[in-house]
Amino acid sequence: MRTQFRYVAAAFGLTASLALAGCAAAAPEATDSIVIDTAFTLETSDPGRNYVPTGYMVSKALYETLLDFAGSDESTPVPGLATFTQNDDATVFTFTLEDGRVFSDGSAITADDVVFSLNRVAGMTESKANFLMGGITVTKIDDMTVELSTETPSLKLPALMTNPSLAILNSKLVIENGGTTDDSDAAEEFLNSTSAGSGPYILDRINFESQVVLTENENYNGDEDIDFTRVVIRNVSEAATQKINLEGNDSQIAVDLSGDQVAGLSEGINVFSTPSAQTIFLLINQNSEVSSVTSNPDFANAVRYALDYPGLLELAGAGSAQATGVIPPSFLGALADGVEQDLDAAAASLEASGYNGESITLEYPNDYPVGGVSFTPLAERIQSQLADAGITIELAPAPFTTQIDRYVTGAEAFSIWFWGPDYADSANFLPFAAGQKVGLRAGWTAEQDSDVVNLAAAAENATNVDERETAFSNFAEALQKRGPFVPLIVPGSNIATADYISGVAYNSTWTMDIAELQAK
Amino acid sequence: MGNTPRATRKYPASSPLVGYVLRRLGTSVLLLFGVTIVTFALANLVPGDPIAAALGEGAASNPATVAAYIQERGLDQPLPVQYANYIGGLFQGDMGVSLRTAQPVASDLAKAVPATVEIALLAIVVSLGVGVALGSLAAYRRGKISDQLVRVLSLIGLSIPTFWMALVSFNFFFLQLRIAPGAGRLSPVLPPPPTVTGFYTVDSLLAGQWVTFTDALAHLMLPVFVLSLFTIGLLTRFVRTSVLEVLDADYVRSGRAKGLSSRRLLFGYVLRGASLPILTIVGLAFGTLLSGTVLVEAVFAWPGLGSYAYNSATSLDLPGVMGVGLVVGVVYLTINFAVDLLYGVLDPRVRLA
Repeated sequence: MRTQFRYVAAAFGLTASLALAGCAAAAPEATDSIVIDTAFTLETSDPGRNYVPTGYMVSKALYETLLDFAGSDESTPVPGLATFTQNDDATVFTFTLEDGRVFSDGSAITADDVVFSLNRVAGMTESKANFLMGGITVTKIDDMTVELSTETPSLKLPALMTNPSLAILNSKLVIENGGTTDDSDAAEEFLNSTSAGSGPYILDRINFESQVVLTENENYNGDEDIDFTRVVIRNVSEAATQKINLEGNDSQIAVDLSGDQVAGLSEGINVFSTPSAQTIFLLINQNSEVSSVTSNPDFANAVRYALDYPGLLELAGAGSAQATGVIPPSFLGALADGVEQDLDAAAASLEASGYNGESITLEYPNDYPVGGVSFTPLAERIQSQLADAGITIELAPAPFTTQIDRYVTGAEAFSIWFWGPDYADSANFLPFAAGQKVGLRAGWTAEQDSDVVNLAAAAENATNVDERETAFSNFAEALQKRGPFVPLIVPGSNIATADYISGVAYNSTWTMDIAELQAK
Repeated sequence: MGNTPRATRKYPASSPLVGYVLRRLGTSVLLLFGVTIVTFALANLVPGDPIAAALGEGAASNPATVAAYIQERGLDQPLPVQYANYIGGLFQGDMGVSLRTAQPVASDLAKAVPATVEIALLAIVVSLGVGVALGSLAAYRRGKISDQLVRVLSLIGLSIPTFWMALVSFNFFFLQLRIAPGAGRLSPVLPPPPTVTGFYTVDSLLAGQWVTFTDALAHLMLPVFVLSLFTIGLLTRFVRTSVLEVLDADYVRSGRAKGLSSRRLLFGYVLRGASLPILTIVGLAFGTLLSGTVLVEAVFAWPGLGSYAYNSATSLDLPGVMGVGLVVGVVYLTINFAVDLLYGVLDPRVRLA
């Protein structure tokens, strides 16, 4: 019996000693450091090849762009490395570099660096960011001035120049390490091990699966006042773990918490909640070959007015808002008010559509929550609300990777999807027009609504900001009234921080500007 | 026979053991080849557009980018040609380039596999120690309260959902009790040790970094604890059953009748007799630990094979998925091969079969 006891004691002793090792190694601390937990999307630290959110957050800290956005306002670009003027036709934009700015190796930033950096992205056809430079010609005027020109009016160009993919690189250093302005560029490996920019931070080390470490750029002479000399960005894919890490002070910022999770945070934590730039919407296919029921515009109206939008919004949590149109709130031309439930109008439209109680299949990805909004409960509530209005819905969930093929090929009659901007400009939402990419996914051809086609063209070709804002508003309004889309929810972005941190501002491209974070 | 020279006991090419090893090796190679066909076929039959998923809406609308992307990765070739290229690359250590991380899959896996092996090895050692002790205790105390208690505990270990247990233990030991560190393999302020084996505990010791070693060991504790629970439950029940069978065997009764001590009886007779079935379960459990740590790795932000598999699958990163499939296949085949060999060594009847 004593022998048996010894075996058991030995087993538990082993377990206990392992646990004690855990106690013994309390996490070392560094007070000038900050740890940010986020679910990684990261594949390079070469800004010209990057096109994913975590990569943007990193690039934004390491590099600077010609223009910038102030805080969360993404409607008006402000000076970054340069100021700009434009001609009346909005086809020529002249950028003048700020005097005295230097890269992290101390060398001066000149027009040559701008020309090389932008032409590098334009020349690397295999880069995901390549399309940002489509139709833009770059010309050096003098050492401090660069001209960007387009053949047609392009008021989106200033917003494009805020994109971290178009960051200004130290051209001499990059060329020395394989950089070119065509597909023969071989500088990515170099840029994955060091940074060649003028941002407030430099790259210390990077592991694309686990963490990125940034340290202060001693030569930085821009406007940001850096409070944290060392930044660790960690890959924590599970939001529940981000929450526990933050509450346990193992991290100071959690980026991906859902509305429900921030509601239950302990004391000592601040939350910056704001609507994101994603729009969750219903697609109602206008192609009669896909569905003879949904292709009737009156059916779309019946759905539009039957829904109880505040009721749907309850599923989204903190920071979310009703989608007022396809353009989310922080963008130029976004509408102030969304559609309101009108059961009489819904009934009249349903009757006009000739709907006979047929069951309509609602398809949606069931494994891909957007901003913490899961589509299954959303679909169930839509099903319930439409049932009250006399429309029978059958739910057809499927994994994202299975569902997306049917969406992009326009095969879905009725579905829930989402859309986010590729860059911070309202032009990103023009694909919702009849005959454009998303419009065609809803079976909505240019011939079916030439008025919307014209409104989209007017927004695309506007030559001054006021005219542009009006054009985008008109476009959004037309879609709100008769488009084959029913915008539902703009999910919230919830960035939770330790309470001694300030300066958090959400941006749809780079999520937040790390350099703006301050210890209160 | 007693005078037979020892030299004749060496194993010639025609000996049963050598033949057995060669047969098993041949089977493993064929199975590995089958694994490559299955993973390649499955990855390429999955519905969805991996190019659109990898490039995003903006870049996927740019024909030049799509064309360059397809050409660079040979995706414009017929599937048999792609497969032949894949196999040809494998022989040179090239597993393709991940669509998600844009890094070579082999390089990604070289970082992910040691992270998972480190927790799996420790978990299997803990599980083996605790499971054999508890299983033996339960068998020796058959029908007593301690036996009932061990059986209930092992059932609980088998029944608790791993993901839930990971979250609860993380919350309890890290957040409430503050006796465990946060997520990840190391505290954020510590740089990883110079890579030799990929195991942070071993590499930090080799580099003489004691603080890093204790920190890495501390970060291993909770994932190992959570991963061990299921395996301990499994092993405990299996060891109990195996030991009970051996305890009833004639040679154990004889040993007991001869007055052998309990310790000698346990290690010299009982556990040795029960070792073959236990070996099978340990092998299977180790394979499961290596390939099935997805949820535990997600909770503890552990950059291992499970996280890599999950991220690859959800982003339609087909080279990544194929790489993980191949690694898991190799792991299972290697473990099975090793277990079969040990069977052959431990039990001569097996190699003659």
